[in-house]
Amino acid sequence: MELFFMTLTTGIMVGGIYALVALGWVLIYKCSGVLNLAMGELTLFGAYVTIYFYAMGVPFVVSILFTLVIGIILGILVERIFLDKLIGEPILAVIMVTVGLSFFFKGLIEFIWGTDTRVFTPAIFSLKPFTVGFLKISTVYFWSFVLAIVLFLVFVAFFKYTRWGLSMQATADDETAALSLGVSARFVYAASWAIAFMAAGVGGALLGNINGVNISIGYLGLLVLPAVVLGGLNSVPGAVVGGITIGVLQNFAGTYLDAFFPGGVKEIFPFAFMAVFLLFMPYGFWGWVKIERM
Amino acid sequence: MTRGWLPCGDYHQEYAKDHGWWQTNVIKGKMILLLLIVSVGFPLSLGEYWLGVANMIGYTALGALGVQLLIGYAGLITLGHAAFIAVGAYTSTLLILRFPWPQFIISWGLGYPISIIIAAIVAGLWSVLFGLPSARVKGFYLILTTMAAQFITVDFILTQYISRIGGRGQAFSLPPGTIKIGPWLIDSDLKVYFLMITLLTLTVMFMCNLLRTRVGRAWVAIRDNDIAAETLGINIVWYKLLNFFVAGFIGGIAGAFWVANLAALSPEHFPWSWSLWLVGVILIGGAGIDGAIFGSIFMVMVMEILQIIAIPLSEYWPIVFVNFAYIKDMAFGLAICAFLIYEPRGLSYRWWQVKNYFNLWPFSY
Repeated sequence: MELFFMTLTTGIMVGGIYALVALGWVLIYKCSGVLNLAMGELTLFGAYVTIYFYAMGVPFVVSILFTLVIGIILGILVERIFLDKLIGEPILAVIMVTVGLSFFFKGLIEFIWGTDTRVFTPAIFSLKPFTVGFLKISTVYFWSFVLAIVLFLVFVAFFKYTRWGLSMQATADDETAALSLGVSARFVYAASWAIAFMAAGVGGALLGNINGVNISIGYLGLLVLPAVVLGGLNSVPGAVVGGITIGVLQNFAGTYLDAFFPGGVKEIFPFAFMAVFLLFMPYGFWGWVKIERM
Repeated sequence: MTRGWLPCGDYHQEYAKDHGWWQTNVIKGKMILLLLIVSVGFPLSLGEYWLGVANMIGYTALGALGVQLLIGYAGLITLGHAAFIAVGAYTSTLLILRFPWPQFIISWGLGYPISIIIAAIVAGLWSVLFGLPSARVKGFYLILTTMAAQFITVDFILTQYISRIGGRGQAFSLPPGTIKIGPWLIDSDLKVYFLMITLLTLTVMFMCNLLRTRVGRAWVAIRDNDIAAETLGINIVWYKLLNFFVAGFIGGIAGAFWVANLAALSPEHFPWSWSLWLVGVILIGGAGIDGAIFGSIFMVMVMEILQIIAIPLSEYWPIVFVNFAYIKDMAFGLAICAFLIYEPRGLSYRWWQVKNYFNLWPFSY
C-alpha cells in the first residue's frame, strides 16, 4: 500500500511538470491551430540553457529567468520566421514545419552541447527525501511540482486578468471577431509561441533536475502529446488533468507492469494507452467534438 | 496505334489510352533509356562508394514509396513508417537465421527471396493492426496513433524482446553467405545495387498499376474527401486498411532490402527520426511516385555533398566532422521548412513544369 501511495505522489508531481509543458502546447493550438510536434525539443532547449547558466555560477532561480527571456526571444523568432507564413496551409504542412524545427533544434543543441548527460552541480535540491506521514517524498520532485504549479497559476492569471491574455483568449475563441475588435492576431501568435517556449523551457529545466540533462528529456517532452489527447486538444484544464494522469499512469506502469513486461514499459506505456484511448474517445475528455459536413 | 509523340493541343480520345503506360514512343524510349542507364550505365561508371550511395537512395525511395502511398494517395498521415520497415527487416533476418529451412531451399538459394515476401506480408499485417484506429480517427489523431506504433514496435517490442533472441544483446549480424538469391551471393555493393534496382523497379511498376485501378482511384477519392467517397459507395474502412497493408508491404520489402545492404540489424537503425525523415523526403519530393524518388535522390545527395564539404573544413574545425550527424539533422530540418514555405509543391512540380515547357514549346500560351 505504501508503494502504491508513493507511486501515486511521484506520478502526480512529475505530472505537474507535464501539465506545465502541455499548457504551452494547448495554447499554441488554441490560438493559431498549429499542432506542434517540436515540444520535445523545446523542453530540451530549456534544460540545456538553464544548466549552461547554472554551470557558469548563476543561481538557479536567475538561470530560470534567463531561460524565460531566451524562450521569449526564440519563440517570437520561430513564429515570425517559420510559422507566420503557414497560417491556413494544410495540417500536414504545418506539422511538418514543426518537425523540421525539431530536427533543427535537436541538431543545434547536440552540436553545441554534445550528448553526454550533465547534472546540476552542486545539486540544487537536497538529495534527502522528507517524510509526510508515512510517505517519503523526494525533495526534487516536491519543489519541481511546486514551481511548475506556481508558473502554471501565473500563466492562468495572465490569461484571465491582463489585457494581452484576454486578447489571446479572444483570438482563440473567434479569430475574425477578435480581429475586428482590434486585436492583432500576429501579436497573439507570437505571444503564444513565446509562452510555449517559456513553459516548455521551465519544464525541461525541472525534468533535468530529476534525471540529469540529456537528449532523452526531449522524449519526456513528447509525453505531452498523450497528455493533451487525454484532456482534449483545446482545453487548458484538460492539459492539467491529462498531464497529471500521464505522470501517474507512467509511474504505475513502471512500478507494477515492469514485472510482467521487463524493459522500458514505463517509457512507452503512455503512448500505448493513448493509442487505445483514441479508439474510444478520440476527442479526449474536454476537447471539442468536430462534426463534419460535406 | 502508338504515336511517335503527342503534339500540344492533341488529346487522347479514350479513357484507357489516357491512362496507358506507353502513350507515345517518346515516353517508351525515355523509359527504356532510363532503365538502361540505371541498370548498365551506373554500375559501369560508378565506383564502389557511389554505388553505396545509390543503394542508400534506393532504400530511402522504397521506404518513401510506402509513405507516399499513405500520405500522398490516401491522405493518411503517418509518422511511424520506420516501425513497419523494421518489422520487415527483423522478419527477414529471423527467417534467414532461425527458420529450419528444408535443405533444398537453402541449396537453391531461395531462403532470402522467400523471406522478402514473408517479411513484406508480416509488415503489411502489422501495419494494418496500427491502421485500425484510422476507421475512427483521422488527421492529427491518426498521427499520434502511428507515433504510438513507432514507439511500441521499435522502442519496446524490438529493443526489449526480439533483439534478445539468441541471447546476443542488441544487434543481429548476418554471417557472410547467408544472403543468397539463386546462385548469386549478395556480397558486394554492386550486387546489392542490382537487387535494389530490381526491387525498386518492381515496386514502382506495381504501384503504378495499382494506382490506375479501382483501388487506386478509391484511395484518391478518400484523400480528397472521405465523406464524399463514402457516399459514392466506397467502403472507406476497408480501403484505408488496404492502403495500410500495401504501404506496410512496401515497407517490409524496404526492410528486407536493408538486411541485404548492411548484413547487420539493430533497433537503432529505425528510430522515430527515420520515420520523420521519410515524410520529409516525400514533402521535398512532391506528389506522385516520381516525387518520392526525386525526394530520396535530393536528400541523400544533399547529405553526401554536405559531407564532401565537411571533410576539408574539418582540418580547421575538427568539431565539424565529429558532430557531422547533428549538422545533417539541422540541414534536414531547415530543408523541410524551406521547402514547405517556399516550394510547397516539391521537386516533382518543378519537374512537371520543365516537362510542360517542352511539351508546349514553342507556343506556350
